[in-house]
Parts: sequence; structure tokens; C-alpha cells
Amino acid sequence: MQAAKARTPDLDSGRRRRAALTFISRYGTIIGLLAMIVFFAINAPGTFLSRANFLNILSQASLTAIISAGLTFTLVVGEFDLSIGNVASFIGLVVAGLMAKEHLPIPLAVALALLVGIIIGLVNGFLVTKVRINAVIATIGVGTMLTGIGFSYAAFPIAIGIPRAFTEISLGRALFGVPNPVFIMAALLIVMWTILNKTDLGQRMQAVGSNIEAARLSGIRVDRTKMFAFATAGFCAALTGVLLTSLLGSGTLAAADGYLLDAFAAVFLGSATLREGQFHIAGTLIGVLILAVGFNGLSIFGAPTYFQPIFKGGVLVLAVGLSSLARRYASAS
Amino acid sequence: MVSEAAGIRAIRGDPGANGIPEAWIDIRGLGKHFAGEVALHDVNMGVARGEVHGLVGANGAGKSTLIRCLAGVTVPDEGKILVAGDELRLGSPQASEKAGLAFIHQELNLVPHFSALENMLLGAPKATRLGLIDWKRSSRPARAAAERVGIKFPLDARVSDLSVGERWLVMISKALVREASLIAMDEPTAALSGPESEQLFSIIRDLAASGVAILYVSHRLDEVLDLCDRITVFRDGEVVDRAARGGLDKRGLIRAIVGHDVKGAEGRRRIEADKSGVPLFSARDVARGAAVKGVSFDLYRGEILALGGLVGSGRTEVARLAFGVDRLQRGHFEMSGKRLTIGSETQAIELGIALVPEERRSQGLMLAQSVAFNINIASLHSLRVVDILPFLSSRKMRNQAGRLIKDLGVKTPSPSTKIASLSGGNQQKALIARWLRPDTKILILDEPSRGVDIGAREEIHNAIRKLARSGVGVIVISSEAEELAVLADRIVVMREGHVVGELTGDDITEARIVEMSYHDAVGS
Repeated sequence: MQAAKARTPDLDSGRRRRAALTFISRYGTIIGLLAMIVFFAINAPGTFLSRANFLNILSQASLTAIISAGLTFTLVVGEFDLSIGNVASFIGLVVAGLMAKEHLPIPLAVALALLVGIIIGLVNGFLVTKVRINAVIATIGVGTMLTGIGFSYAAFPIAIGIPRAFTEISLGRALFGVPNPVFIMAALLIVMWTILNKTDLGQRMQAVGSNIEAARLSGIRVDRTKMFAFATAGFCAALTGVLLTSLLGSGTLAAADGYLLDAFAAVFLGSATLREGQFHIAGTLIGVLILAVGFNGLSIFGAPTYFQPIFKGGVLVLAVGLSSLARRYASAS
Repeated sequence: MVSEAAGIRAIRGDPGANGIPEAWIDIRGLGKHFAGEVALHDVNMGVARGEVHGLVGANGAGKSTLIRCLAGVTVPDEGKILVAGDELRLGSPQASEKAGLAFIHQELNLVPHFSALENMLLGAPKATRLGLIDWKRSSRPARAAAERVGIKFPLDARVSDLSVGERWLVMISKALVREASLIAMDEPTAALSGPESEQLFSIIRDLAASGVAILYVSHRLDEVLDLCDRITVFRDGEVVDRAARGGLDKRGLIRAIVGHDVKGAEGRRRIEADKSGVPLFSARDVARGAAVKGVSFDLYRGEILALGGLVGSGRTEVARLAFGVDRLQRGHFEMSGKRLTIGSETQAIELGIALVPEERRSQGLMLAQSVAFNINIASLHSLRVVDILPFLSSRKMRNQAGRLIKDLGVKTPSPSTKIASLSGGNQQKALIARWLRPDTKILILDEPSRGVDIGAREEIHNAIRKLARSGVGVIVISSEAEELAVLADRIVVMREGHVVGELTGDDITEARIVEMSYHDAVGS
């Protein structure tokens, strides 16, 4: 009986530790985000805590969120897409070129640009599922080729001949003074969240990502499901590219390449949020906000430029680490 | 911890009591709790040198936790383990290995692209010359061990080229190289053929005769009764029965494991299917490669047809052909007399054919997902809010999962529980539930109760019977003659890619199935 008594505190502390770990692995990222906001709010109340700054953060976050949502889909089906940054840059050039060089009307230029994005995604998906090239290799290859094609098309920024109405897409504020990209992001994320959680397609994507062999034996057309995810990633990257060109007022070579790392950091941070180690849209949004708030705070405090890549790389490593810990923890329990 | 292990020298286990031989491994009052659940409670047992000691019990009864404690992978909450009178440092795999304890798990932790020899010597101290490994001298103990277990293949063969049986021999040699005094084996015969199992048994007897203690964990009770000098039965984390050879028969053993009587094969009523009509499903001279060389059979509505035979006789391959995983090279399948072309799994499912595959974890379960997700995944279309739109109804999903969980007796805290946390038997029930949809006409189950405890197995069998009686044609594949004898209405026995005979009614006995699996008794 003495042994039983001696065990109790030990057991309790173990249980408490487990509960704490579960809590951190689910809400750690959200707590981190809130802590960051509180920290900046206390230390820079005037600049950080203003409506203008919040809208600024949201508007910056929206482009990252759109491209990250596409990446989330490829990770849900258990694949990778390392071409998204190059795709966004390339489509940024294409949409600028279609307007400035080919003189197409804005809606047609945008529609064509997005279509090209989807086609690139399908090429990625084809290489991965049918030719069976490892996704990392296939998408790096495609992305690199796009950089070359973009260079041959426009070695210098395409700025002249871009209609003012086009720049209004990103710069305009349709409602309540909130920048348009925020609405576009919100609409896209809602659609993608619905697809992932509320449709059979989304369930099949999750099944493929969980166990591809079991998914195939459950009658799921695995290749088609993966192709859809890649096409979505291509579309999202293209949309980010179009919005970026609109924001900058020019199509510039490699302008969006940097979004790749941001997207990876955001998606992996998101996978360590709420659901242990699984990729999901709401988590990705949290991840994007952490990055956006972090960058914003850094610039408010006047951190030197070299600190930005340190922060970004650090967050990426931390995010993937957290995500893998969360998954390991989930499988152990 | 270190000083404790080195300092305390406990008194040897009391030998005389109950005439039990002096314990080499003495487990005292071992207890372990996981998140408040009892995994082991006050376990006391001893294993003597030269003894084959069987551990039996349902899945989750505590056998694996005990083995993990011995291996130093799990740290018990209370109690101690003495090896030759010295207290074992708990929670240290190194300490366990040093104490002479070796463990062979089902998955066989071998490096596939290393040779058999390299695997045997993996992590073992090696002789060196001028700082380089002297392979010739180092390999001497390995060659001796290989000879002792009767390895006939060359030791420089890659492990990936070896059969499962040969890999077992490598694992045992590996343990002998480390001069293990106790070898724990987890479900050794689960993936072995008949002759391979026989070879393993004779090696185990030899090892025991030379003083090595064997802990033998298995669900195959006949083997345990045949092989083991003593048997310890676990239920719900406690030792509920122990017996020396001859102290328990199979029925008694089952009663101890389950806690109540289980109805044997005797009272079993077989349904003679109405064969006057057109068969529900037929194979007509189907063939593919060397595995399936022209197989024909008929399956009638409401019948449980078993494909019997040894591992590698072509049964699983026939199932893969019928389910569209592999393509036919000759012959065809028919459903209700109509010729089928099955080009993919998706097509097979559209035709009403379903398969519960052999490997539960790698081919069936989506481990990161919930029980409900795993059940619903094959019938998503019927769970839509409206048929023409792709949106799923949460209510329909919840209801279907809930109903099937109840129908099949899946024991789960809730439908949203991760399926990874269920026991093997309950996972298997969920996988069967996946195919209980109105359009399933033919259900193929490959090894439906592999690695499943005896209580869950009975429930799975009942579910299969109920399904067949409702009009579904069921094909069961199993390597266990015992299971087929209990479950099947009719048995088609396969050997080396051919059908060698058929058993019906009272002809269905374990003995006849086994006999036919090995010898061409009837001729095709």
C-alpha cells in the first residue's frame, strides 16, 4: 500500500506534464502569436497598435497566405512543391507582359495568367504521379526552368504600359478601407477550408496523405487527387504573382521567389497548431500571421536588414521542428 | 540509478516453492500505468535457464509491456527485475543487453542492404588490427552461431534477398553472437510457412537444451502448448494463470485468456449454399505469372468461401487480381454470369467488390485519422448532403460511423478518437466496417484475424457470418487451418498457384485442410 501511495504524486506529475505537452503542441503557436502582439503593443504602442499598421500587416500577410494555402494542399496529400515561388514570379511577368506587350484587356490577362499557373501545377503533378519523379526534384526543376523562361521573356522589369486600373486590384480598398487582397485571401481561404474539410475531395486528399496504399485500396484515384493538389498550388502561386505585380506596378524577374521560404515556414508552423502535425488551412493562416507580425515588429524596432533572413530561417527551422515534435508526440500517445 | 544497480545485490528468488525451478530472470511486483490506465499490475514471474516459457493473453493484456520493460524500452512504475540475482537497471536498453537479454520483434530489426554476417555483428564488439576491423577474426562467433542454428545460405547474402524464415535465423544468430542467455520472441510464426515454423521450433528446443531461456509470445495456442515448458497467461495487465507443461489444455488456456468459455468448431453450423442458380462470383482459369497458374472457383450468395493453403500458395495474389490491384494475364472473373473487366481498385469497388487487405497497418489504416474517418472513407459519395454536390453531411458521416461502430462492436471512446490508439482487433473491425455499404456484393478478407486477440477474433468471425447471411458473398483467406475450419462454409485449397481441392460440410477439419495444403490429395 505504501508503494501505491508513493506512486501517486509521481503519476500526477507525469499526467500534468503530458497535459502541458498536449496544450503546448496544440496552442503553442497561437500563444506565441498573442505574446508577440502583446510585446510589440507594450513596447511600441503608438506605431504597432494602430489601425493603419494592422491593415498593413494584414495586407502583407494576404499574399503569403494565398501562396501558403496552395502549398498546404500539396503537403496534405504528402507531396512537396518547391516551384511556387518561381511560379509566382513567372506569372507576375506573364500578366505584366500580356497587358503591356500584348495589350490584352485586364480580365483576360489575369484569367490567362491564372490558367498558366494551373497548367504549371498540372505539369508538376504529372511529373510526380505519372513519371514518378520525386516531388522535390521535379518541382525544383520546373521552377528553375520557369526562371530561365522568364528571363528570356523579360530581362528588365515590365513597368511601362501597365494600366492604372490593374494596380488598383492590390492597392484599392473596396470596403471599410481594408485593402482588396485581404478580401481575396479571405474568400480563397474559406473556399479551400471548405474543400479540405467539407467535401469528399478533401477527405480523399487527407486519406492519400495519411496512407497512400490504404487510400488506393479504398478505391481512391490517388494520382488524380494529387494532380488536383498540385494544380491548386499552381493556381494559388499564380494569384500571388498577379497580386504582387499589381502591388508593385511592374512585372519583375524573381520578384516573388522569396515567398517560397515564407510559405514553408507558415505551413509547418500551422501544422504544429491545433491538430498535432497535420497540415490544415486554419493553421497555415496562423503561421502566416506569426511571420507577418514578426516582420512588422522587426521593422518597427528598426532591426537591421540582415536580421530579416535570420528571423525567417530561424522560424522555418523552429516550425519544422515543432511540427515533427507534434507528430511524434501524437503518434506516441 | 547507477549506484543502485551496482550496489544492491538482492537475495536469490526462493527456489523450492511450488517446485518451480530456480529463476534466472526473476520479475517481482512489476507495475506500469499509462495515463492512468493499468498496463501491468503486480506481475511476478520467473524464467529459468533452459526453459521455453510461453506468454499468452489477448492484445493489450500486458505481454508487450512486460517485454518492453525487460528490454529497457519502457520504465516500470514499480517493482524490479533480477537477472541471476543481480538487480537489472531499469529503462536502459544497454543494461538489458549487457545482462544477456535479447529481443526479436515481429518487424525483425535488420538492415536490409547489409549482409547476414554484417547484421549479426551489428553493434557487437569487433576485433581490430591496426585500428581497422579484422573481419576474419570478428566473424568467427557469427559463423559459429550460424552453424548452431543451421543456416545453409551464404553469410554474405544480403538480408533483403533472404526469406522471412531465413531472416529469423539471422536474428537468432545475432542474439547468440551477443551470448544472450534469454531470447524473447514476439509472434515468431506469424509470417513463417509450415516447414519454416517446424525448423524454428527445433532450433528453439536446441537452444533451450543448451541453457538459453526462451520467452515465447504467441497467439497460436497449439504452438505454445506444444513448445513451452511453462505458460504464463496475462489478462488486463495481470498474471491470471500459470501452468507447467500438461497443466492446461487448449480449452483451459482459451478460458484463461478470455475469462470465459468460447464455443469451439464443433457446434458450428455450415450453410450449404443454393448451388442451383448462377454463382454470384466466379474465377475462370485466372492466371498471372508464377503465383497464380489458372485458378477457378465459384462463390454463391450468402456463402463464406475460404481460400486455404500455405503462405505463398497464391491466395493473396488471387485476391489482388479480383480487386483490380494486379492485371490478369489469362482467364477472367464473372459476376452473376456476366464477364467482368476489372482494370483498377476503383472499378472493382464500383462493381461491388471489396477487399480488407492482409497488412492492417500499411495497407488498411490511416493512422493519423479518426475512427470515423477510417470507416467512412470508402463510402463518401453516399454521405453527401445532396447527391449532385460534393459537400459532405456531418450528420450523415456521424450517423454512419456511429451505427457501424455499434454493429461491429468497435471499442472506441468516441468516433473521433484517432484509430492509432485502438487495439489491433478493434482496428480490424473498423476496417471491415469500411466495406459494410449497401453496394458491397463481394467481400474479400485477407488474414482477417492476424495479430488479433482471441476475443476480438470471435467478434470478427461473428460479424463475417452475419454479413454472409445478409446475402453478401464472402471470401476469406487465412493461413490458420483452425480459423478456416471454424469460419468457412466451403474451402478451396490452393497449392503453388493451383486449386488442389475443395472441402465441404463435415469434410472441413483442420487436419484435412493442412493435409491438402501440403500434399496433392485430391488433384486438380
